[in-house]
Amino acid sequence: MIDFAIFAVTMIAIWSVLGISLHLQFGLTGLVNFGQVMPFAVGAYGAGFAAAHGLPIAAGIAIGALLTPLLGLLVIQPAGRLAQDYWALVTLGAGEIFRLTMLNVPAIAGGVEGTTVYRIADRSLAMLLALALLGAAALLARRIGRSPLGRILRVLREDETLGATLGRNPFALHRLVTVVSWTLAGLAGVLYAHVVGYLSPGAFTVGETFLIWTAVVLGGPASLPGVVLGTAVVELTAVSTRFVAQWSHLPFELTANLRLGTFGLVLVLVFLFRPDGLLREAKARSDADRR
Amino acid sequence: MLIAADIALSYGELHALRGVSIAAEPGRILGLVGPNGSGKSTLLNVLAGLQRPDNGNVTLDGRTIPPGLPHVAAQHGIGRTFQVPRLARRLTVLQNMLVGAPPPPGESLWHLLFRPRQVRRHERALHAAAMAMLHRIGLAHQADDYADALSGGQQKLLSMGMLLMGAPRALLLDEPAAGVNPALIARQIDLLRAVRAEGRIVVLVEHNMEMVADLCDRVVVLDAGEVIASGTPAEIRADHRVMRSYLGEPA
Repeated sequence: MIDFAIFAVTMIAIWSVLGISLHLQFGLTGLVNFGQVMPFAVGAYGAGFAAAHGLPIAAGIAIGALLTPLLGLLVIQPAGRLAQDYWALVTLGAGEIFRLTMLNVPAIAGGVEGTTVYRIADRSLAMLLALALLGAAALLARRIGRSPLGRILRVLREDETLGATLGRNPFALHRLVTVVSWTLAGLAGVLYAHVVGYLSPGAFTVGETFLIWTAVVLGGPASLPGVVLGTAVVELTAVSTRFVAQWSHLPFELTANLRLGTFGLVLVLVFLFRPDGLLREAKARSDADRR
Repeated sequence: MLIAADIALSYGELHALRGVSIAAEPGRILGLVGPNGSGKSTLLNVLAGLQRPDNGNVTLDGRTIPPGLPHVAAQHGIGRTFQVPRLARRLTVLQNMLVGAPPPPGESLWHLLFRPRQVRRHERALHAAAMAMLHRIGLAHQADDYADALSGGQQKLLSMGMLLMGAPRALLLDEPAAGVNPALIARQIDLLRAVRAEGRIVVLVEHNMEMVADLCDRVVVLDAGEVIASGTPAEIRADHRVMRSYLGEPA
C-alpha cells in the first residue's frame, strides 16, 4: 500500500506540472492547446533517445529540456496568423505528428516496440524529484500569475484586441508563455520517462491530452491550487482503476472505458454547473501585499 | 499632427471609406460626425491599426504609422476607445487601469526573475498613478470591483482613464457619450478639456451634437465613406447638406 501511495504521489506531482503548464497557457492566457501531451512526449523521448543511443542521462535531460521550447516556438508560429480555434487544431495535429513519427521511426527510440530508459530504482527519490519539480513549477507559475506579466496575460485572455490597442504584441506574449509552459511540460516528460523506465508511443495519445484537460477544467484553469487539486482527483481515479476492476470483478477493459466515460461526464457537469472549475481565480485586491 | 491621407477601404462591393483625408492638430479636438454606417468607426480603426486600408496612409507628427498593426500604432502614441468599451471584464477596475500604462518592467520574465526589486519599485509607482487616475475619473471607490460590475457609463469612463494612463499623443474616442448619463458626460467633457489643454490630439466620434458643439474646435462630416463637409461646429450646423444626410437616418 505504501508503494502505491508513493507511486500515486509521484504521478500526481508529474501530471500536476503538466496541469500547471496548461494553467499558464489556457487558464492565464486563454490559449487553447489540444496538443498538451506533445511537449510531455518530447521531453520523455529526449530521455528515450539518449537511452536508445547509449548517451548519458544528462544528455537526455538536455535534449528534452531544449527541444520542447524550440518545438513550442515552431508550433506557436501559425498562431500569429490563425484564429484561436484553428490554433487548437494545429496543436492537436502537431501532437499526433510527433507520436506517429515516434511510432514509425524506430531509429529514434524503438518505434512501436518502445525503449527502456534508466529507471530510478529508489521510488522515494523519484517521488522527491517529482515533488521538487512540482514545487519549482508552482513557484514559477505563482510568480508569473501574480506579476504584471500575469496581469497582461489575463487581459489577452479576456480581450486580445484590447491588449493590442494598449501597445502589447499579443503574439510575442503568446510565444513567451508557450516557451515557458512547454519547457515545464518537457521537464515533466523527462522525469516521467525515468520514473516509469519504459517508453512507447501508446503512452502519449490524444487521450492523455484529454486527461490533462479534464483535470485542469475540473480544478479551475485559472487557479493554481485548483489545477493541482483537479490533477490529484483525476490521476487518483486513473491509477485506482485497476483496484476498482479487482474489487468489482468487471473486466479491466470495461473499467478503463467506464473511467473515460466518467471523465467525459465530469467535464459536461463542470461546464454546466461550475464553468470556472472547483477553485476560482483569486481576485487581485489593491490592498494585497505587493511583491 | 495626426494625418490620414486618402484612406480607402472596402468590404467586397461595399466601399466603407472612399479616399478620406483628415488632419487633427495638437491641442485641438476634431469632431467626426455622420450617420451610422458612414465610416467613422472604420476610419478610427484604420488610424489605430486595427484595419489595414486598401489605400492611403497615416502619419503622426510626420512619422508614417505602419498599417494594420494595432500594437505598433499604440506604441507610436495612437490610443483608441471603443463604442462598446473593451475591458478585461474579469479583472478589477484597478487592474484594468494598471494595464493602461505602457508595459512596466514586470511584464518581462527576465525582470520578474532577476530584477525583482526594480519590478516592485515600478509597481508601487504604477499603483499610485493608477489610483490617482481613478480618483480623477471618480471611480476610486470601485477600484476593487470587477470591471464587469460597472455601469455602461462608468465602463466608458474607465476605458478613457486607461487610455489616459498610457499618455498617448493622439486619442481616438468612439462615441464616449452614447448611453451615458449627463453627470458622467460632464465628467468626460472636463477630462477632454484637460487633455486638450495638455496639447494632445483628440479625434472625437460622437452623435451627441451638444457635446460636439461644446468641445470640438473643428468638425468633419462623413457620409457613405466620404468627407462631405468640414468646418467649425457653427458652420457645420448651418450646412444644409449635413442636415440632409442626418435626416435620411431613422432616429
